[in-house]
Amino acid sequence: MKITLRTLLLSAAFPLLASCHHVEEWDGGMQGNFDALWTIVDEHYCFFDEKGIDWQETGKRYRARINPEEMKATDFFNLCGQMLNELCDGHVNLSSSFNTSYYRRWWSDYPQNFDERLIQQYYLEFDYAQAGPLSYKVLHDSIGYMRVSTMSGGIPEGALDVSLMSFADAGCNSIVIDVRDNGGGMMTTAERLVSRFFDGRILAGYISHKTGPGHNDFSEPYPFHYDTASGHVRWLRPVVLLTNRSTFSAANNFVSIMRLLPNVRIAGDTTGGGSGMPYSSELPCGWAVRMSACPVYDAEMRLTEHGVPPSDGCRIDLDPQLALQGTDTMLEFALDLAADWREWIEKK
Amino acid sequence: MRRRLLILLASICALASTAAESPDSLRPYRPVVSAYTLAIGSAHICNTYLTPLHYTGLTGRLHYERMQAMAFNPERAVMQLDIDIEADRTRNPARNATMTGLELRFAWAMMRRHSIASVPGLSLYWGGYTELGGGALLLTRNGNNPAQAIGAWAIGATGAAVFNTTISRLPVTFRYQARMPLTGAFFSPDYGELYYEIYLGNRSGLVHAAWPGSYFRIDNLLTADLHLGNTVLRVGYTCDIFSSKCNNIVSRDISHSFVLGVATEWLSIGRSRGIDSHARIISAIY
Repeated sequence: MKITLRTLLLSAAFPLLASCHHVEEWDGGMQGNFDALWTIVDEHYCFFDEKGIDWQETGKRYRARINPEEMKATDFFNLCGQMLNELCDGHVNLSSSFNTSYYRRWWSDYPQNFDERLIQQYYLEFDYAQAGPLSYKVLHDSIGYMRVSTMSGGIPEGALDVSLMSFADAGCNSIVIDVRDNGGGMMTTAERLVSRFFDGRILAGYISHKTGPGHNDFSEPYPFHYDTASGHVRWLRPVVLLTNRSTFSAANNFVSIMRLLPNVRIAGDTTGGGSGMPYSSELPCGWAVRMSACPVYDAEMRLTEHGVPPSDGCRIDLDPQLALQGTDTMLEFALDLAADWREWIEKK
Repeated sequence: MRRRLLILLASICALASTAAESPDSLRPYRPVVSAYTLAIGSAHICNTYLTPLHYTGLTGRLHYERMQAMAFNPERAVMQLDIDIEADRTRNPARNATMTGLELRFAWAMMRRHSIASVPGLSLYWGGYTELGGGALLLTRNGNNPAQAIGAWAIGATGAAVFNTTISRLPVTFRYQARMPLTGAFFSPDYGELYYEIYLGNRSGLVHAAWPGSYFRIDNLLTADLHLGNTVLRVGYTCDIFSSKCNNIVSRDISHSFVLGVATEWLSIGRSRGIDSHARIISAIY
């Protein structure tokens, strides 16, 4: 009888153990959806401390503005979007069937200093090779020009091989890679591109992740390495990387890795940042939410969430007046830098 | 004298032959019970790595089961092999996102059989099993966390009650079987760890020890096997309850399904051996 009783108690204990696996649930009203949004961000967003954000106070302030009796869904969406904008993060969005909230000030507060038409018309003369997001041409003074417009899709290995080989065949000693207005995409695309510009293996950076819902629950940063693209054409000669504030996310990480290569200089403006890898979740009403969750550091353990500055003495802006006359002052600067490659390579 | 000797030898041979043909001394035949079933029902899934919401929808499962009495103790020992492939298609409460699940599981159990003398036709089974499973949950609306891999190896306990009876001259076998893992190992990324970090090489802390507090699962199966001539029609109900918690990630999967399939009982006979009509036939469950 004792054994039977013990067995029964043990059997009853197992479901109790499983019931400890609590999952927080929210109602489908505005209050419930707001609480869900606030909690998801509270538990997963990774830059509260870096940005000095008091999320408790933020939530309290916006929660007081909820009025389910009078608010329409669009009003509620805008309220939630405004709260998310306080994170000042281009990787934070709220998406519904009728709108997607964006924090735009990481680029809208800065001058627009890239004009694709200007490049295509006056430098590429509408005669250039293009494969996916890659456009390239050897310019008049034997400097290779490569434009990478996005990293949201893969860059064909063959296109990289052919473009770099064409620069070498044309006798180029240096190239300019233009990643202005490149809003990022996949880190694997950044890796594929970076791997063409060094030999052997490099420390590319560190990545960390949340280990729990607390604001300071982070894993030890994990060092990650990139290997050279063996079996493919590589460019180990000087490279000038042209950037602006709209160089964001994976493109920002690409710049942060390239910056530490001995044959690379960064010219233009500070990049837009966005070094936290985004995590996705959703609200009971079906709206999707995305936020930075995994901080990525460069190889010197610096966070590039606020951008990567240009190399010393290489900050340059677009002159709108000269642009009207067909001159991209940023590209001109990069081309001059590429032409003087001996000088800065020796200095480095 | 010679004639007497021949008669004695013939008698000894006859006795020996009779002894060899005694059902108890012959190696019994152990037919294999094979069943192919399809289960369709409802699924209730939650995986907080992908979403904090509970998804509901359909589940479908193809199941192969093989049971056989063991050679070393055919009266008491029964082996069971199960292969499952399960697919789920569930939607979020707002019905604007779909989560798809796919899982393949192999399980092998060894059970001891005990016939209840006071209730003719009733046998109880209990024993242990080991299981290996793998698959994934996909939530494609997510960007960097669109999937959660499923992987587990478990050792657990299983028990069954089998009742062979007749209803209106139709032989029917009722069975209830439950299974529960007690220990093992399972895969889980860290709370906010993206698979990209695992791809970069950080594979530490991905495998976790399982015990009912961290990895709770109970699979219940209730079937009625209707013996229609040489074929058996299997109908039933299955209810699987799973809940795990690891690295602050809670994963739940509760399904209720209707089971329909066929079972057969077959023997593998070598051509040279032939069939000995005196040998006993020991079925795994029938």
